[in-house]
Amino acid sequence: MQEVNTKAPRDQFFKEIENVRHPNETLVKTHCSYCGMQCGMNLRVNTKTNQIIGVEPRYDWPVTVGKMCPKGVTAYQQTNHPDRILKPLIRDDASLKGTQKGFREATWEEAYDLIAKKFTELQQQYGKDALSVFSGVSMTNEKCYLTGKFARVALGTRYIDYNGRFCMSSAAGGFLRSFGVDRGSTLPWTDIHETDCLFIAGSNTAECHPTSMFRVWHVQERGGYLIVADPRETPIARRADVHLDLRPGTDLALANGILNLLIQAGYVDEDFVGNHTNGFEETKELVKQFTPEYTSQITGVAPEKIIRAAEIYGKAPNAVVMFARGVEQQHKGVDNVSAYTNMALVTGKIGRPKSGVATFTGQGNGQGGREHGQKSDLLPGYRKLTNPEHVREVCQVWGIPPEEMPQPGVSAYEMFELMEQKTIRGLYLLCSNPAVSAPNQNFIRRALKNLDFMVCADFYLSESAEFADVILPSVTWSEDEGTVTNLEGRIIKINKAQEPLGESKPDWQIQVELAERLGRGKYFSHLQTARDVADEFRLASKGGYADYYGATWDKIDKQDGVFWPCKDEADPGTPHMFLDKKFYHPDGKAKICALPYRPPAEEPDEEYPLRLTTGRVVYHYLSGNQTRRIQFLRDMCPEAYVEVHPETAAKYQIEHEEVVRLYTRRGEAEYKVKITEAIRKDTVFVPYHFGHDQSINLLTIDALDPMSRMPEFKACAAQIEKREKRAVQ
Amino acid sequence: MKKRLYLELENCIGCRSCLAACTQCGGHEQRNRNYVYDVNPLVNRQTMPLMCLHCVNPACARSCPAQAIQIHETGAVLSALVEKCIGCQNCTIACPYGIPKFDTEQNLMYKCDLCIDRTKDGIPPMCESVCPSNTLQWLTDEEIEAKNQQFNLDNGKWVTSMPYLEGETNVRVNLPGILQGVTKLF
Ligand code: SF4
Ligand code: SF4
Ligand code: SF4
Repeated sequence: MQEVNTKAPRDQFFKEIENVRHPNETLVKTHCSYCGMQCGMNLRVNTKTNQIIGVEPRYDWPVTVGKMCPKGVTAYQQTNHPDRILKPLIRDDASLKGTQKGFREATWEEAYDLIAKKFTELQQQYGKDALSVFSGVSMTNEKCYLTGKFARVALGTRYIDYNGRFCMSSAAGGFLRSFGVDRGSTLPWTDIHETDCLFIAGSNTAECHPTSMFRVWHVQERGGYLIVADPRETPIARRADVHLDLRPGTDLALANGILNLLIQAGYVDEDFVGNHTNGFEETKELVKQFTPEYTSQITGVAPEKIIRAAEIYGKAPNAVVMFARGVEQQHKGVDNVSAYTNMALVTGKIGRPKSGVATFTGQGNGQGGREHGQKSDLLPGYRKLTNPEHVREVCQVWGIPPEEMPQPGVSAYEMFELMEQKTIRGLYLLCSNPAVSAPNQNFIRRALKNLDFMVCADFYLSESAEFADVILPSVTWSEDEGTVTNLEGRIIKINKAQEPLGESKPDWQIQVELAERLGRGKYFSHLQTARDVADEFRLASKGGYADYYGATWDKIDKQDGVFWPCKDEADPGTPHMFLDKKFYHPDGKAKICALPYRPPAEEPDEEYPLRLTTGRVVYHYLSGNQTRRIQFLRDMCPEAYVEVHPETAAKYQIEHEEVVRLYTRRGEAEYKVKITEAIRKDTVFVPYHFGHDQSINLLTIDALDPMSRMPEFKACAAQIEKREKRAVQ
Repeated sequence: MKKRLYLELENCIGCRSCLAACTQCGGHEQRNRNYVYDVNPLVNRQTMPLMCLHCVNPACARSCPAQAIQIHETGAVLSALVEKCIGCQNCTIACPYGIPKFDTEQNLMYKCDLCIDRTKDGIPPMCESVCPSNTLQWLTDEEIEAKNQQFNLDNGKWVTSMPYLEGETNVRVNLPGILQGVTKLF
């Protein structure tokens, strides 16, 4: 029988290549455990021991065609790593919180009994909302979905939120405001190399999403343009046609300045603006004051560069505006996103192939994980807890009366404030490491210590697990199956390559079993496999904005992934958004936003004259709990450092490799100096993957975006102090 | 069709995925065999890989007194044979790029064998397979010739592997500067 070819279209980078097959080995098709690129990979499994032993490229994955960054290549080493937690751990002596000491091995029975007892006691004494769930999005949609249900149905608490607040929430907020829908990319990644201009702001793409780079370089090879806005001359900025080397935290002025020039020079698509958008006149008025000179004053970027960037973007027949945490992790992150999105809306470069807007999603399932109810105010399918109709729809699937649905809670950082105040007394933490990744760590660690009872599910003993009373061993991505939504909005399938190591269990199973202990089994006990969860989850998303109902595992396999929305069996999904020029606001129009400039929450002054910004290195992922344990990655980048411009270093009389004290109003740490001309003179940079006293988040500020509640990781005021040189070992 | 490793040095982003991947090839015993350099670390983020170029008349093999370095029929210059290598390190000194590495414990040289496990069957080497920036590419001579034409610049300098750095090599290198000859779209 002839197979109908329903595969996604192949591009010029795709080559038919057979994989190497070794004897006694099988290959399991899956995707990387780390970032939103979700590069395809094959895990090599020894058929005698049934253990994962290596990796082989997945040439047949259309997005990444076999390519992987060093994190992806070594990801398999997580599974059978000696640091894996193999049994539940209990710590009886609470005075040891904040250390790795005092844990003893226990059975699952004992651990569940203890958790059920403590959770029940706390809720009896202080009410349902005394408990909280803090979760993450480096896990499958099925797990993310069930975590939201677990918090609301099994625990009945309003307090659930997740680490996307430190990652994608500003992009979500900006897209919702501009388009009425939040899909991270309006076009598939296989379009990117064919556009004529890439405008990339606040993305260190070569280090954070490396497998996008062959497409980026191809734009230039074809004669297209690359414009990069970044305070540092990152590897992608190095080759940019225009590098807009702005001060950290001034994106909004830059975006307004460019928009002004686009409008003044007549690059407005009058038809598109008139028929498909609102807010143009008001915005045009507002951005008038952002002349190149005024914009330059705020941003520190030379006026000629701003003019040139606007000219290129305006002229380009097709262009894609892209951004990442650099613009989003600010206390005006949502405004930044909408302001850069304005560029596409005003010029009509959206809603067609090779043009659009995209954010580089940080976490593996940063997209899917925010759509299905882990956020304090959201329910599956991007439904809202504040919308009674939405609540009713979800309650029908869950089988609870609408009155039982908890109210919206608070955002991630605000949950820690409630822990500090003892409003929240218990915490179930999974898939996240806030004791490294949250801002203002001195406060965060105090809040964690203040909890009456804390459970942490992880496969390694993270810095956050050091605050737990009970640690539950969860599985790595390779020991479970389910779906993930990559940075394109493409739903893809993660496959199981090995049985769970030791006594570890997938998070969804832990939640089902815990729910049973808590007397809520009737809402959970039918979920016996990951596929059971998947089926319920698809149903729960049905009819929502992020509709996954038609994205069956079969279809994902046949089509190389399914782009949401995908409403039913016949629907192939939606690779390009807005092709019909219909946006998701009630009137079908997109919103061009008039956004007055606001400076960063903390501007440099005499006492703290430098701008501190944070980010990633190519070798590590997020809090580093996973990657710092992998030998190759640790060898390449063993510790944090501070990047300083040579002129700044000369002013402070500090040298390359010297250890200095870096401090802000909130905290301090010591770092080795890395001198480089590839950074602004008024700015210093520290990577955030390191824990304990190396954590740069001891210094970062807790100023939150009013809408997304995203902390301003990317800009605060700091000072350097000379220290004696560290003795040579 | 015969393919070659081709290096587009300008593309390198310094991720060292090629080194991580090198350890994954059969027979590589988890050791990587090539190099990635920061070109000017105090100034900018430019990096470049330094791979064995698989010389047609390899100095490493010529210098070996024990004939431990064999040349595969595909042209790949193989790692030293365990039973023959006497650990003299002549090859490292002879190679113009210092490619062969040395294992002091085993008293054995090891070097890039172009993933012979893979390339003997036409499967691209691990480093090329994963390279996220297309610095490393696996191309036919026709494809390399097309690049040659595309990037043939006025000064005649930025041409693939010309002049050869050390005799003719199986691997072809394009030095930084590919964008100089590109005609802009608008
Ligand atoms: S970390 Fe991201 S870019 Fe690197 S291999 Fe994994 S998914 Fe790909
Ligand atoms: S994998 Fe490619 S981009 Fe990365 S260091 Fe090696 S050659 Fe450079
Ligand atoms: S580059 Fe060096 S190691 Fe490689 S074949 Fe030539 S001489 Fe031998």
